[in-house]
Order: sequence, then C-alpha cells, then structure tokens
Amino acid sequence: INQSLNTYKTLEALLLRTVRVNMFLSFCFVSGTASINERQYRDMPTHGIGRWRHLLPKQAKKKKDRNQQKELVSATDTAYGTLNVKVSGYDMTVVEHYSQYIHNLCNRLNIKVAESYALPTKSTEVLLMHEQGNKTYVDGVLKTHQRVVQLSSLNASLCPVFVDVILKNQPEGVQLSVQEHTEADYQARFKARPELEGLIAQINQ
Amino acid sequence: MAAPCRKMASRSFPQLLCYFSRIAVGSGACRRFSVTPIDRATPRASTAADRATSPWSLMAAVCLQRLPVITADCSPIEQRFKQMLQQMELEKSLVSDHELRLMEDAERMSRRQADDYDSDEEDRGDQEIMMTQDLEDTWEQRLKNFQPAPRVRADVDKDLSSAQRCLADSLVLLAEQQVGAERLWLLPQAAWQEGETLRQTAERALDSVTAAGVKVTFLGNAPCGVYKYKLPKAARTEGSVGRKVFFFKAILADGAPGSAPTAPLLWVKKSELQKYLKPSYMMKVDRFILNL
Repeated sequence: INQSLNTYKTLEALLLRTVRVNMFLSFCFVSGTASINERQYRDMPTHGIGRWRHLLPKQAKKKKDRNQQKELVSATDTAYGTLNVKVSGYDMTVVEHYSQYIHNLCNRLNIKVAESYALPTKSTEVLLMHEQGNKTYVDGVLKTHQRVVQLSSLNASLCPVFVDVILKNQPEGVQLSVQEHTEADYQARFKARPELEGLIAQINQ
Repeated sequence: MAAPCRKMASRSFPQLLCYFSRIAVGSGACRRFSVTPIDRATPRASTAADRATSPWSLMAAVCLQRLPVITADCSPIEQRFKQMLQQMELEKSLVSDHELRLMEDAERMSRRQADDYDSDEEDRGDQEIMMTQDLEDTWEQRLKNFQPAPRVRADVDKDLSSAQRCLADSLVLLAEQQVGAERLWLLPQAAWQEGETLRQTAERALDSVTAAGVKVTFLGNAPCGVYKYKLPKAARTEGSVGRKVFFFKAILADGAPGSAPTAPLLWVKKSELQKYLKPSYMMKVDRFILNL
C-alpha cells in the first residue's frame, strides 16, 4: 500500500507540475493573443541581444541607379579605355552564345566587364523582282541581332591575345567589331522622346 | 638599348577601331576587315640619357595570320553529337507557320474531295493564289539551281605559296630571309632603327616582304613573344653579342597579298611549321601561335 501511495503521490506531483506548466503556458498564450505577430520569446531577457543595425546612423535610400551611365574609363599608357565588343548577325542563338562566350572569356582572363547589353533588333526586308514582271515581292525578312560586351579596361599586353582568341573562335555568319565607347553610343540606346523635343523647341523659339 | 621597351610603355596607345566579319562564301578567301586608328600619338624623342648601351641589337618580326574561311570538318563523335542535338531540337520544336499552312491546305483538299462537299459551308478568307505546296516546290527548284563552291580544292591546298590553301585552318606567313651568312625560313623580321616603335619596325618588315596594298591589322602594340640568339663567335664584337627578336601578331584583312615580293613566301599551318623553322626558334614561336 505504501508503494502504491508513493506512486500515487509522485503521479500527483507530476500532474500538478504539468498542470502548473500548462497554466503557465496558457497564461502566456492569453497575454500573447493581444497581437498575433508577437512572438512568445520576446519575454526572454536576452531577446534582441545581437541587434546592431539600429545603432548605425540613418542612411538615405538611394533611388535606383541601375540605369545611370557608368563612367567612361579613359585610356592610359598601358591599357585601353572603355571598349565595346559588338557582335551582330542574323542567327540569334549563335550571336547570343558568342557574346556569352566572350563574356566568360573576359571573366576568366580577369578583364573587367562593365556592361553587357543588347541593341534593338533591326529587320531587313529582302525584296526580289519577279522573273516575268516589274513588280517586287517580299522574299523574306532578315533580322539583325546585336549584342555588346563593354569592357572597362583592357591591358595592352593582353589585348593581342584576347583578340586573337576571339577571332579564332568566331562562328560563321557573325560580325565582330571592337570599338571605343563614346557618349554618343550611350545616348543612341535611348528612345526618342517627341513631346520633350517639342517642348524644348517651343522654349527655344 | 633598353630604351625601346620603356618608350613603348610611355607612349599613349593608339585607339583601334577594328571591324571583323566572317561570311562563309564571300568574295575572296579572307575575312573582311577595316581598321580606323583614332589617335596616333607622335613618338616622344628619347633623350640621350635614356639610352643605355646594351650588346643586344633589336629586331621586330611579324606573325601574319590568315584566319580560317570555312568551318573545319567535325570529327565523327562531333558529327554524331550534332545529329543527336538536331534531332532533339526537332522533336521539341513547335510547328512553324509554313507547316501549319501546309496542313491546312492538305485538309482543305481532302474536304473538297469528299463526296458531301458544300463550298458555301467553307469559310474562306482570301483564297491564296499560290498553294503552299507550290511555294515549296519553287523553293526546292531554286535550291537545286544553286551551286556552292567546293570546300576543299586539293590542288590549291598543295600550293604552299597561295593564301587560298587550307581554308579550314589558320595559316602563318613565312619568308626566306638572309640571316648572317645563310638564308633561313622565318617570320618576316627587320632591324629596329632609332626613333620608331617596335610595331613600326614590324610593319616595315612586313612591307619589305610582301607587295604593297596588303591590308593587315596589327592586333596591338605589345609584342606577343621574344626570341634571342647570340651571334656566332666569329661575328661577335664589343658592341653586339646577339639579337633579340620581338614578335607582333597581325591578321590578314581582305584581299590576298599580291605576291610580287623579293623573297619567296610561304603560307603554312602550325603543324607544318616544324619543317621550315629551326628548333630553338620553333620552340619560342610555337608558344604564341594558337591552333584553334
């Protein structure tokens, strides 16, 4: 009987403990339902112990500067300035793969690539004369795709090697051109804004 | 004579505008090039204090390459892979406009031939004058009339002095020049003179060996290789122990060089270089000629 009493007491103690714990939990839960977003462990004394970002001075958020023009690097004695490697052709997959190949090659040779963008596609209509008549008919439409890889600086000693490798791997039907990047090139990428130009003309009148 | 290297570094580099185009069956057997140098700074005269006397005399040589005009043939495994990829692409692709029209026409024909055909039921747009099948037939006819040029011409391939040989490989120009007492086959070279850059020396070397009117694009102002050799003991003096040759890479632009040269010229592939060049020279030249 003693043993059973003992077990009963221990059971009781356990139950009480669990009930107390449950009450504790439910108590917390009751206070927590004030706002669903509050998490329970905010009552822990060490809550938020690692926070430091609120101690820094407030930084004004920059407006998106993704479309700002990157500075033109000018040529020095040992390196070329901003260069545009322009790849163009009729077959888009080949042109894109070739431009990707050039980009990867630059990464591998540690040549800094400033930008890599595409110029708008130009469509060319091929008109052929009829054999019997004077009228022309549309034979086909050829689309010229252009991709540009802009290198920020190219070491002069690396330049012949780089250009040689690119030339040897040039696929068929693809035209390659290496030119200096100018302000005019950058401005040519933007669309013309007729209303703005009209307003400026009005002001200038 | 360490001046020229310093001179090269201190000069501002001319900006290159290069335009390369590769069209498989174009006019001539070369890629079309155009180069427009923007700024060519005049060389600064070096002071006498710069020049330190060195027993090595300098020369510049040009490695003129004619790039391949047609694609190289695929190896058997490449061919099999290519076929497999083409088949995969075909299977994954959607039906094109032309094929859709073909199917519609075939359907219309079969409907017309059916017994219970009512032409009023058909909602026709503008009836096409040409059936799609006829269009296809005209295209096939035009394709049959087109004669492509032969890819490999065995007789031209064997002619070593022609720039049209081996259209699928890149070729290097070799010239037979007098070096010391003997005539050797080597990349065209010339001795450096005061007041010019090494690249100008290389250009002069090329001009002396080929006929005028050859359009050549130099790939940069920096040399791509160097070879130094000592003169035989008999020819050595106080002032000159040997020669250093700097190599510059250049690409042949449009137009094969008209061969009216004083020295015989050869266009060789990299694999054939060994037959013509001396071993030590070959070792240095081998390093910068890419066999891609």
